[in-house]
Amino acid sequence: MKLWQKFAVGSTALISATVLAACGSSNSDSSSTSSKGGVSGSVKLWVDNTQVSSYKAIVKDFNKKYPDVKVKVTQSPNGSSNAKTDVAKDPAKAADVFEVPNDQLGQMASAGYINPLSPDATKTVKKNNVASAVKGVTWKNKLYAFPFAMQAQTLYYNKAKFSDEDVKDWDTMTSKGVVATDFTVPYNVYPIFLSAGTEMYGKSGEDLKGTNVNTQAGVNAMTWYAAQKHNKGVMQTSNVLNQLKSGKAGAILDGPWDAVNIRKLLGKNFGVAPYPTVTIGGKKVQMQAFLGIETFAVNSNTPTKSQKAAATLAEFITNKESQLRIYKDQGQIPVDKAAEASDTFTKDPVAVAVKTMAQSSHSTLMPKMPQMATLWDQAAPLINGAYSGSIKPADYMTKLTAFHNAVSKKN
Amino acid sequence: MFKRKNKLPPAATYREVWRKGDWATKLSFFVMGASAFKNRQWVKGAAFLIAEVAFLVWLVFGGISSLSMLSNLGTIKTKKVVYSESQGVYLTKLPDNSVVILLFGVLAVLLLVAMIGLYIVNLRATRTLYVLNRDHEHIESNHEELASLLDRRLHGVLLAVPIVGIMAFTVLPTIYMISMAFTNYNSHHSIGFSWTGFQAFQNVLSGDLAGTFFPVLGWTLVWAVCATATTFFFGVLLAMLIESKGIKHKAFWRTMFIIVYAVPQFVSLLMMAQFLDLQGPLNNLLLSWHWIAKPINFIGASANPLVARITVIVVNMWVGIPVSMLVSTAIIQNLPEDQIEAARMDGANAFQVFHSITFPQILFVMAPSLIQQFIGNINNFNVIYLLTGGYPMNNNYSGAGDTDLLVTWLYNLTFGQTQRYNASAVLGILIFIISAAFSLFAYRRTNAFKEG
Amino acid sequence: MTSYKAQRHVSLILRYVLLVLLVLVWLFPIAWIILASLSYNNTGFVSTIWPEQFTLSNYTGMLMNHQYPFMDWMRNTLLVSTVSMVLSTFITISVAYTLSRLRFAFRKKFLQIALILGMFPGFMSMIALYYILKSFNMLNLAGLTMVYVGGAGLAFYIAKGFFDTIPRSIDEAAEIDGATKWQVFLHIGLPMSRPMIVYTALTTFIAPWVDFIFSGIILSSSGNPKNYTIAYGLYNMLHSAKGTSTTFFTQFIAGCVMIAIPITILFIIMQKFYVNGITAGADKG
Repeated sequence: MKLWQKFAVGSTALISATVLAACGSSNSDSSSTSSKGGVSGSVKLWVDNTQVSSYKAIVKDFNKKYPDVKVKVTQSPNGSSNAKTDVAKDPAKAADVFEVPNDQLGQMASAGYINPLSPDATKTVKKNNVASAVKGVTWKNKLYAFPFAMQAQTLYYNKAKFSDEDVKDWDTMTSKGVVATDFTVPYNVYPIFLSAGTEMYGKSGEDLKGTNVNTQAGVNAMTWYAAQKHNKGVMQTSNVLNQLKSGKAGAILDGPWDAVNIRKLLGKNFGVAPYPTVTIGGKKVQMQAFLGIETFAVNSNTPTKSQKAAATLAEFITNKESQLRIYKDQGQIPVDKAAEASDTFTKDPVAVAVKTMAQSSHSTLMPKMPQMATLWDQAAPLINGAYSGSIKPADYMTKLTAFHNAVSKKN
Repeated sequence: MFKRKNKLPPAATYREVWRKGDWATKLSFFVMGASAFKNRQWVKGAAFLIAEVAFLVWLVFGGISSLSMLSNLGTIKTKKVVYSESQGVYLTKLPDNSVVILLFGVLAVLLLVAMIGLYIVNLRATRTLYVLNRDHEHIESNHEELASLLDRRLHGVLLAVPIVGIMAFTVLPTIYMISMAFTNYNSHHSIGFSWTGFQAFQNVLSGDLAGTFFPVLGWTLVWAVCATATTFFFGVLLAMLIESKGIKHKAFWRTMFIIVYAVPQFVSLLMMAQFLDLQGPLNNLLLSWHWIAKPINFIGASANPLVARITVIVVNMWVGIPVSMLVSTAIIQNLPEDQIEAARMDGANAFQVFHSITFPQILFVMAPSLIQQFIGNINNFNVIYLLTGGYPMNNNYSGAGDTDLLVTWLYNLTFGQTQRYNASAVLGILIFIISAAFSLFAYRRTNAFKEG
Repeated sequence: MTSYKAQRHVSLILRYVLLVLLVLVWLFPIAWIILASLSYNNTGFVSTIWPEQFTLSNYTGMLMNHQYPFMDWMRNTLLVSTVSMVLSTFITISVAYTLSRLRFAFRKKFLQIALILGMFPGFMSMIALYYILKSFNMLNLAGLTMVYVGGAGLAFYIAKGFFDTIPRSIDEAAEIDGATKWQVFLHIGLPMSRPMIVYTALTTFIAPWVDFIFSGIILSSSGNPKNYTIAYGLYNMLHSAKGTSTTFFTQFIAGCVMIAIPITILFIIMQKFYVNGITAGADKG
């Protein structure tokens, strides 16, 4: 597949019409010329566009320790939340180390886009990071990425509109003011199903048949969505920040990535709290959120001679110092045990709220099943259907069963 | 044209050429260009010979393997994760990359076809030379041959580069994508995939995507009809308004409308989406004027499907009417005045003149471009993708919304969450079939209409 | 007679009123876009018609942005569109001329094949195009230019319609005088098609400024914003990461306004040629 393409180029010129040719699709891995002792190679790193400068600084430190590794930091084409599609477009052209949220790891691992962590790295990651982060990167008993931050949505509110007491319960809140969120984004509202008592791919998050939404609990959740449409204190919006700023909404459900913005918008009225309790099916339960783990993974298409360098880089940029730096620059909540215990961290209300949300009583770790793609796709119209009333209560069960079947299908 | 044809010598069958030809002619059946060399057409002979040698070398060194790999798209279909002791890391042995195998396989087939074509050209040239020799006619010299490239064979020269471009950037990709419809290339087989026959077609037409395909197809057709008809009809009216007697500064008025069309669509439509948002400026304005009691959800994810569909058609009018206004302006300016005058004399009012003279004439002239617009609207990606993104959501569909067209759904299947490349290729083929069937039908009809 | 005149007068006024109203409706959203580009906003969403706070910082911010190098995009796009304009115009005009004025064996077949190829949705070819360019190692601006130029061979309809309207007797007269077809093309065909050349040149020049799909597919894998064209760059600003769109949203609008102005001016110039071209094409089909 190589020589002939060059010849094809030659014949192109002559066979004037039907012609086209190509040369050198470099797909095969080069022979392993592993360096002795020191780590060397050249590695491309994809990070989110706002974080480029932070990571350039971290890489500078990395190069002090590993001067033989050439690192190129660029922004990932469509952001880390689209890592799966960006990598899938052409794994060979994607970065050697890239940022990816943990729910995409299962799909990437089964497709063969990413390598498992080496036994040494596995030990380090397990030793340094909190248990939920380790679980977040584990897929079929192997670790597939280096965790560096946790993300869970929390409640951001305007202290002029809600008291600290108000925000403890959804019903109290929505009777006194307006809470805004986007019901069309399942990331925001799917956890109501979890609050209602259903599970997502079982307790382990790896059980294909474990999405038990076609139950009374599932119907209760659907009923809750439908009720919010008529709740005057709940606002459907695609732009929570704008509503918070204009004062039309007093509180929003949002993630730590927007915390800096929200602080600017609200100034001294800035308030943040864990999710309130909600009443689902006549019972008061904790409103849940998804717990996501931000990670760096190593591309399996990386040439063999740079694999070690790539893994070393991924480990370095997720170590305690790097996590703290990203926390300082970007407000990303660290998962390193030591970093979490640090002083600045415990004084930050956002970090404290996210930490609270990270407990298993308040959140569910996003599963890594490859079927998650289908789940996101199908959950959005399902929840929106219940919310907007286009799915009638009588049809809840049939729709939930159809949903359950769609997301439980083996490949 | 016809004179030249008469100059051509009477034909001979290839059998005659083979039996009666001299050694060079016979050799030409195996070594391309041999008879051209013998007749001192060096350039042509060399071109043939080099092409053949290059082709054979390619065939031996890569062509055969490329073609044979096409049969199964690579043998290794599953990945293998191995631990490398020397490096202390896991390595993944990836499956054979079927995407590349398929692409180069298709390319190899194209090259093969091209070579066969060239071989036929070679035979023709050989026959011509044989006949000329047999009848003792003048044989073109090298110089004459080259000169003919700028005269008799000018079309070949002018078309050579464009054809290479079309082959590389249209034909090859199209054939490649058509082949993809017959594989299981999707997120579960994203590197190594295999041939699966009509499986993907089945999925779309009767399998899990059928429940989405047919409604989306229906809306695509409704949309294409409405979008084409509204922009055309109101474009004509607008043109007539501007062209009507007494209106001054016609160019200025036209320009005002053209501005909307000139703003890049990813700007105007993306912003329009925000303009129409549930909490967007338009709703806020209407609310503050007390024209509406609560905001209208025009194109949001939970909008009423009918409202959203009407909205996209209206927004499309905003973008499309200026263009059709421009086109009809030119036609109106060229309409024969006498008929209209005559009708006026007979006491027809403005509406009657429009209804029975102006409009039919414009329709007549614009029929072919209307067909093209209709096809264009079936594939109108920008308006839907940028404005609504397919919203409102529909819980009966899979991966599409109420305003999604086949083409935006195709895009979602490729670049969205589910990555069903084979299904999107099937959609592409179906869109082609629909467009082709429609235009065949429409062109027939308009031709009949014109002749009758 | 006076009543008739008065009636005419009223009708004219009514038509003017209607026209003004329509123009207002048409330009209202455009005016809003410009206002939005001048408004201070940090939430990623503009919910008012009239800005709460005017500022030019969106424009200066866009021009100074290191993350999204606007000036690099301008330069890249200018480069791509100029090269593509020259090559595509030549290709389109020569294909149209050949198909309209020359007669040869596979002419009909070529027209039919072109028609068929035109009916496959362009998106189908994206993945293949990506890999073709990749195997040439051309996932860059040059490759993008090639894609634009490569499609030019099929964009001949309007130009062909134009050539069809020119009587063939002119060519024939020249050929009887001993001119070769090349000379006819060069000295008669090209000069006559000046309006068509201008029209084709302008459309091919504008195309790279508004295409965000193909440029995205081809340029995005580099991950280096310095290599983007303006349309993809701006589009990418909105779609790259959580939380960041808010920071860049108004700058995005400002950037859009900045490129929309020159394109609009080009378009207004093009109008005349556009009408001529389209009607010539429509006449003949």
